[in-house]
This record gives sequence, C-alpha cells and structure tokens, in this order.
Amino acid sequence: MNFIPLPSPSAARPVSDAYDGTTYYGRPALKPAPFENSVVGSYIFLAGLCGVAQVIATVADVARAPRREGLVRRGRLLSMLAPTLGSVLLVYDLHTPKRFYNMLRIARPTSPMSIGTWILMGFSIFSGATAAAQVAADWVRPGWARLLHGIARTTQVPAAVAGAGLGTYTASLLSSTSTPLWAAAPKSLAVQFGSSSMASGAAALAMAERHAGSRSLARKLDTLALAALAVELGASVVSEATYRTRGISAAEDAAADTRTIAQIGTIAPFALQMLAGKGKRSAGILSDLASLAILAGSFCLRTGVMEAGDESARRPQDYFRFAKPGNLPK
Amino acid sequence: MGAAMIAGLPLSNRVRDYPESEFRHPLPHEAELTAGVRIEPGRSYGFFTDTTVCIGCKACEVACKEWNNLPADNLGLTGDSYDNTGHLSANTWRHVAFIEQMADRPTEMRPFQSNWLMMSDVCKHCHNPPCMEACPTGALFKTEFDTVVVQQDICNGCGYCVPACPFGVVDLNPLDGKAHKCTLCYDRLKGGLEPACAKSCPTDSIQFGEVADLQQRAAKRLEHLHAVGVPSAYLYGAPDGPGATGGLKYLNAFFLLTDRPEVYNLPEAPTRPSDRVAPSLLSGLAAVAGLAVAAVALFSRRD
Ligand code: SF4
Ligand code: SF4
Repeated sequence: MNFIPLPSPSAARPVSDAYDGTTYYGRPALKPAPFENSVVGSYIFLAGLCGVAQVIATVADVARAPRREGLVRRGRLLSMLAPTLGSVLLVYDLHTPKRFYNMLRIARPTSPMSIGTWILMGFSIFSGATAAAQVAADWVRPGWARLLHGIARTTQVPAAVAGAGLGTYTASLLSSTSTPLWAAAPKSLAVQFGSSSMASGAAALAMAERHAGSRSLARKLDTLALAALAVELGASVVSEATYRTRGISAAEDAAADTRTIAQIGTIAPFALQMLAGKGKRSAGILSDLASLAILAGSFCLRTGVMEAGDESARRPQDYFRFAKPGNLPK
Repeated sequence: MGAAMIAGLPLSNRVRDYPESEFRHPLPHEAELTAGVRIEPGRSYGFFTDTTVCIGCKACEVACKEWNNLPADNLGLTGDSYDNTGHLSANTWRHVAFIEQMADRPTEMRPFQSNWLMMSDVCKHCHNPPCMEACPTGALFKTEFDTVVVQQDICNGCGYCVPACPFGVVDLNPLDGKAHKCTLCYDRLKGGLEPACAKSCPTDSIQFGEVADLQQRAAKRLEHLHAVGVPSAYLYGAPDGPGATGGLKYLNAFFLLTDRPEVYNLPEAPTRPSDRVAPSLLSGLAAVAGLAVAAVALFSRRD
C-alpha cells in the first residue's frame, strides 16, 4: 500500500518570529493567579499606605519639620494598619490559612512573596516598637517620655527603610510571574506602585493635618502627594506604551471601570488642589476631596492591575504574542 | 547491567532473567527492565515526549490518574476534537492534546489521510523552575532525582506558584487548598520504578530516562526524522532552544514537535520570572527614595 507523503508543513519552522494568531481551541496557556483581587488589592493598598506613612513620619522627624509632633504621631499610628489588618488580609487569602507560619520556614530571594513576608515582619517589629514608644511617651512623666522618644527616633529608621520596601515590593510580586500584563513592564509598574504608595500616604496624612488645624504641614503634604502623582502619571504612560507595543493592552478592557477610577484619582487631584488654592471657604473641602480621590485611585490602580493581569493570563493570543524571542530580555 | 537492543528496544540484559509474565513480588530496579535505566539519587531524570509517535490513546492520562489516585475533572464533552480533558490541573497531570488540522484538508491532503497532531503534555520539570523560585514556603523543591515536587505537608496554598509557571501547569485544588502537579512519580522513582505514564505508553512516545541520555536519543530521532522527510521536526525544551529560553536553560521533560509551539498551547519563548525581581524592586525603591528626598526638602522649609 502506498501512503501519500505528508505535505511538508508550511515553512518558517521550527521557530518563527511573527505570531500568526494560532491558539489551542482558544484555551488559556497560563493559569491566572488564584488571588482574591479585592483582598490582595486591599493588602497592596494598605501596605503602600502604611509603609509610606512610616517613611513620611520619619522624614518629618529627621528633617525637624516645624510643628511636626502631630504628624509624626499620626504617621506612626497609621503605619500599624499593615501589621494588623494587612496581615489578616494576607492570611485570609491563603488557601490553607492555618499554615500561614510556613512562610517563615525559609527566606528566598527569588520570591517576592518570601521577600515581602520578611519585609512585613521587619516592618511590624520596628514600626510596632516605634508606635509603642510613641503611645507610651504620651502617657508617662516627661523624664520617661524623653527616653521613649529617643527609642522611637532610633527604631523609626529601620521601620522607614522597611516601609519603603513594603510600599514597593508588591509590584515585583506581580511582575515576577508569567502573567503577561504584570511581567511586561516590571520597572515602570514598580515606579507606579511606589509613587502611588507615596501619594496615598501623603494624602491620608494631609487630610489628618488639615483636620487637626495644621494648615502649613497639610499644604506640604498635599504638594508631596501631587509630586508623587506626577511621577505615577509618567510611569503609567511608560507602562501603557509597553503594553501596546507588546500587543497585550486589550486585556486592560476587562478592568475598564476600575481603571477609570484609578485615572480620575491621578488626574482630578491636580484640578481640585488648584481650585482649592483659589477658593476661600471651600478650600478645605476641595483639598479633602483631592485626598480622597488619591486614596480611591491608589486602591483602584492596584485592583485594576490585578484584574487586567488575570485577564491577560486567560488570553492565549496575548501570552503567545508576548512570549516571542523578540521580547526576551537582551 | 548492560543495555542492549532487545526486540528493537534499548533494554537491559536483565529482561532475559524474567521470562514469566506475572510477578508475585516487585522486581528490584524494575525501571532497568521497562525503561533501560537504573534510578539512583543524585542523577537527573526526565521525560522525552516524542509527539510524532503519539496515537492519542490517553493511556498515560489513565495510568497517571490510577497511580496517583486523582479524581476526574470533567465528565462532559468539550467539543474540542477528542480532547475532553482540556488542560493540566491540580487533578490532571498528563493531558493529551488533539490537534485536528482541518484547514489543510481540501487543498493539500487526500481524503482519508489524517493530519492529526497529538501530544501528551506534562509538567516540564524545568531546570530553573519558576514555580519553585516563587514558592515562599519551600513546599516546592528539587528532589534527589532533579525533579520538581510540591511537598503536600508544607504547602499553605498561597497560590503564588500558579501564575509563576510559564506553562500554566501547577494549580490549586479548591478542596484541600494545596498546590498540585506532576511529581514525575517521586514515589515510584524511590522504589526503582519507571513513572506510570511512560511505562504505560504503548508507542514509547513518552520515554523516561536520564536527561542527558534522553537529549541524545532525541537528537538522534530528530536527525532521523529530518532525513526521512519531516523537516518540521524540532525539540521543545532542549538546552536553550524554544521553550527553554530566558534563563530556564532546559526542561527535564521536553518534547519533539512538528508544528509551531502555539499549536500545542506552548509559548515559544517563555521567561524566568525571578529575573524581574531585582529590576522591579530597585526601580520601586528608587521612586520612593526620590520622593522621600523631595519630602525632606519640603519639610525642612521654614514657613
Ligand atoms: S512546568 Fe511549571 S510547574 Fe512544572 S517545573 Fe516548570 S514552572 Fe514548575
Ligand atoms: S501554593 Fe504551595 S507550592 Fe505553591 S507557592 Fe504557595 S506554598 Fe508553594
């Protein structure tokens, strides 16, 4: 019996540069992260807020800002949300929560989740010590208070260093995966997350200063928040351009609503603060609105990136287009 | 032990010692008889899956489910050719893909000549495994056989290995909250047995052995296929080839394919996620540090 030889399959193999749109029945080639986006998104937001609150409190203290006592106290207290609520959120998102302590078995520099665990541990210890000294100092006799303030002034430095890590490592947590949208722009995504953390921390503390009647510090914090937003805007332009050139930007439509809030949260505060600068009676309200917009935007930036990333992992075309030799790091 | 060609297969001379067809006791170093390889700790083992001889019988899928006691995932029909398994999952560690190339039929092919591609997919047991590099508990580890295994008594279901894998292999089981994937039959290897899928494969599409040996075998097979007129054949996961790009180096479980990787639901040039840790961390820290310096300037201004 004579078999007809197989036609030599179309050229350009074994490997070709252009992706021709082939998929396997449209089935995903990757699995999206099994994270609960609202839970992990909230953690990322809190980690940024608290980490940076500690950084700002420390910087204000070290730079001897005029009338800084209230700001330093509030920054130190605000930072305690990460070790408490943040840790609860993290454990809650585990699929076997009662084994959370296994995270402490090893330290693995290739795993941002392991790095983050240790950053959070360090932050909890040093921020906790700083906040405890602060609270105690507010209650004891002046002689003791001076000693306690001295302790806080020492522990706040490692706490702030850990805080900077806490506000940024979450971006590398996402980027160090195979999810196309997270992996595509590791540097600019990290700048986005870091500056968004800074904006949220500054906005929250600015609002508190305003309500405590400390106008000048509030204004400085507002300026800091706007500067951070400007950096975030710049970085987001870079990320978006990368997604487009890599052909994976379509996945972002899956998180269109969240992204819109995030965008409003980065742009509206500029307008609101400008109006607040002009207006007289409504200035406080407008500035508060700006702060709230920043906080909402910062939260939605994180959940939006998470949702869009999941969608990019579910789209085989996006992954295959992304996983081409042309996109390999040089 | 000496390897010899017996009935066209590279088998151990020991097969002559066991003429009977049923055994009352496990045989010592059984893999010598079934795969021609003695399994010893400290060496690298893997699979070479030659898709050109796969007949799509799914014996590997069944053998895997039976040996590893894995439940069925989906009892329905997918409508995607004969592939009703769909994908690898926490309960499915071998998956036979069926690619029915209909588009070629009227123009290039005669009636009744099939153009099927079948491929038994599996965890690649990467040389630099992204899942293991991501695992924060150390549950994922490299065994003494150079394979990648999840230790079930340590995994806490953080799920980070799932998006880390560039091949969409490892998955969480929602029932027990742990990550699961192919263990390359860790328990069988410890007992000197060939993995269940490879042992059950009737065409030797799945070959088990030492990685270096398999790579040589694959190179020979490739040469042969090119010589007899299958120029499209290539290796996926061979050192620094397609599938082993971006720092993955090579895959302990690699494949011989005849169409572009995407046809089999495989990425052509995957990357190693841990390469992105440092650039990302440093950029983020630089941004925060820069803004902190701005804050120092703001705060030290007297008003
Ligand atoms: S294929 Fe995926 S699950 Fe298997 S070793 Fe590589 S990264 Fe891990
Ligand atoms: S789910 Fe389990 S195996 Fe996967 S990274 Fe987390 S602890 Fe490791």
